[in-house]
Amino acid sequence: MKSFRKFFVLCLSFVMMLTLTACSSGGGSADADPTQKTVKIGVLVSDTTSAEALSFRSYYEKYIQSVYNVEFMYSDELTDAAAEQSAIDNFIANNCQAIISFASSDRPAQIEKCEQEGVYYAVATGTLTDDQYEQFKSYSHYVGAIGPDLAAEYQAGYDMAKHFLDQGYTKFGMFTGASVYFTEMHIYRAAGMLAAMCEAGKGDYSGATGYDIVGKIMADGGNVSTGKIGSVEVNGVVSGYDFDDAWFGKLAAVANDPNVDVLLAVGSGQTAFAGFKPEGKMLGDIDCYTADSVALMESGTLNYLAGKFSASIGPIFAATLSAVYGKPVRTAEGNALALSQGYWIATDAEMAKKYFEVDSSTTNPAYTKEKLDTLIGASYDDFAKFVAAYSFEEIQK
Amino acid sequence: MKNKSKNISAKLMEAAPVAGLVILLGIFLAIAAAKNVNIPYSFKNIVNQSIITMIVATGAIYIYTLGAFDISLGASMCVSALVGAMAYNATQSVVVMLLVCVGCAVLISLTSSVLASVFNLPVFVTTIAMLSLLNALSLVLIRVNGTGDVIQVPAMAVMKLNTVWFKLLVMAAFTALCVLTFNYMKLGRQQKFTGGNPLCAKLSGLNAKKLSIIGFMMAGLGVGLGAFLTITYAPTLSRNTASSVGMDVIISIVFGGMPVSGGARSKIHAAIVGALSMTLLSQIMLMLNLDSGISQMIKAVIFLAVVYVSMFSSRKTILPR
Repeated sequence: MKSFRKFFVLCLSFVMMLTLTACSSGGGSADADPTQKTVKIGVLVSDTTSAEALSFRSYYEKYIQSVYNVEFMYSDELTDAAAEQSAIDNFIANNCQAIISFASSDRPAQIEKCEQEGVYYAVATGTLTDDQYEQFKSYSHYVGAIGPDLAAEYQAGYDMAKHFLDQGYTKFGMFTGASVYFTEMHIYRAAGMLAAMCEAGKGDYSGATGYDIVGKIMADGGNVSTGKIGSVEVNGVVSGYDFDDAWFGKLAAVANDPNVDVLLAVGSGQTAFAGFKPEGKMLGDIDCYTADSVALMESGTLNYLAGKFSASIGPIFAATLSAVYGKPVRTAEGNALALSQGYWIATDAEMAKKYFEVDSSTTNPAYTKEKLDTLIGASYDDFAKFVAAYSFEEIQK
Repeated sequence: MKNKSKNISAKLMEAAPVAGLVILLGIFLAIAAAKNVNIPYSFKNIVNQSIITMIVATGAIYIYTLGAFDISLGASMCVSALVGAMAYNATQSVVVMLLVCVGCAVLISLTSSVLASVFNLPVFVTTIAMLSLLNALSLVLIRVNGTGDVIQVPAMAVMKLNTVWFKLLVMAAFTALCVLTFNYMKLGRQQKFTGGNPLCAKLSGLNAKKLSIIGFMMAGLGVGLGAFLTITYAPTLSRNTASSVGMDVIISIVFGGMPVSGGARSKIHAAIVGALSMTLLSQIMLMLNLDSGISQMIKAVIFLAVVYVSMFSSRKTILPR
């Protein structure tokens, strides 16, 4: 028993020793110039493994962190609202002055929490709904949102389908990703594709056309059904991310269906279809630029790519840093940013290669420090103009 | 002399999880002070992040003691929380929400154990089937509710309950019930006996099926309370709600020093010690700003070490007492 007690006394002594040692080495002095002090920024992520997520992280950690006096602190992969709340709590405890969010399980709760705790909050690669923006636009710690809004997602799907319809293709197979989990981004992209088919085929999708298709998909539990849309045919649809034999089997069946000429994916199309696609069929995807996607375009496996570029998250970083420095970018009415940004579209290998070279650079990315510095303390109009010029050519000018 | 030394060694091994927790706390405080971390806020985080796992794992001890295993705890919690939220939206009553959460979780648990009894299957097999069923059910509930991909309870309705003190109160009440029934009533002794040697327990007249049903009922109670506290913490629920709880419970129980094979060495406090240790470890990794992959690897190595120490301490020539 005595040994048992001695053991505990030893443990407790160890704790006290460590604490006292650490306390004596802590502390520091505040600097008057805010740029001299390292700004800690928490990053909420719901995806840590996809090529897109990795390229965003690389831009922040390998480029931004090397040229600005900032330190990024990343969350683990957040799958639900509770995990998001915990991650924000962790960032606050670790003295993060701002949070940039890629996680969207419960954005209103994230914004409320940050406002309550006095931490700046920004949404990257996405936007709030109109109702949410109205609710939070005047919050002093809500920096804003920059990214493809739902209209841009719809348009991305529409443009991709139209690209192939214009070439005379009429038989389609679709991968609708997380639409069955009610992920709005994927539902809007799928709706855009179907809307383009309605226009070209002069028909309707189960009685709906245009934006009404979004409501139809929602009402059907996120499912897209096969069938004729006027003269256009959707002959195969796969959804979900089961990654089991049955799921891959369905993808292979759609890819090899003789009644399918074009495969359209709302995302992850390279994972879903590229491995099964026979020669002669077309594949379009909405994703991001990676070495793999460039290789697929070069081999003719991938024929259309609407991709987010990694530096697209540069402006929201600049707006966040500007707010931390006490120069928030607000509208004339004093409201937060709400700016939409689209995709870079590649229809051949040369374009994809050119985009990827810039996008993957950690020394000279699309948005360099020189460009982002112009946004620190910028007026809303200048900021909006900068973000609106998101195409590859405009940025390279 | 040799026996005395063995006795001391066994006690040290038994105290190892608590000692590990104390050491982790020390490391946490040291790094927090060095990095100027907000320690009071961090402690609040630790309670918030570990309490649900603690409650669910404490209830699950009853299942693990029997040498059984429930893989569907997270899915059960998700469904219970979704049904509880729907009940709140229908009645505007937090009490109804609590009762529905607990009732639903207990019902799911009982279904698993009764199915296992009726079909004479290992409980683990029925919980695998329940996992698939519950995952599908959560999607159906969300679809039926018709509010996109989530079911929400108004934040204002549960805000007052989202306090550390309320959570600690729920935890204390549930733990007290578990300690009483597990340590001071025949239920606990019978469970340990059955888990340690089912044949011997059967020959002694113990009804394993009845014990299994009671064990699952207690686990269901913990899951229901966990579901309720999840709603108070984050009132937006999706199909991913509590998705990590099942794994967290297993890790916590092992970290707390309980053998996964159950039996006589099972202890209620293992869940609390394990969940706190896990959360502290996560906080330490976060303060060091380690990459998520590296953090996972470090946790895995520590997990293996804990299991090894636990097995080492149980390699005895006589039955545990």
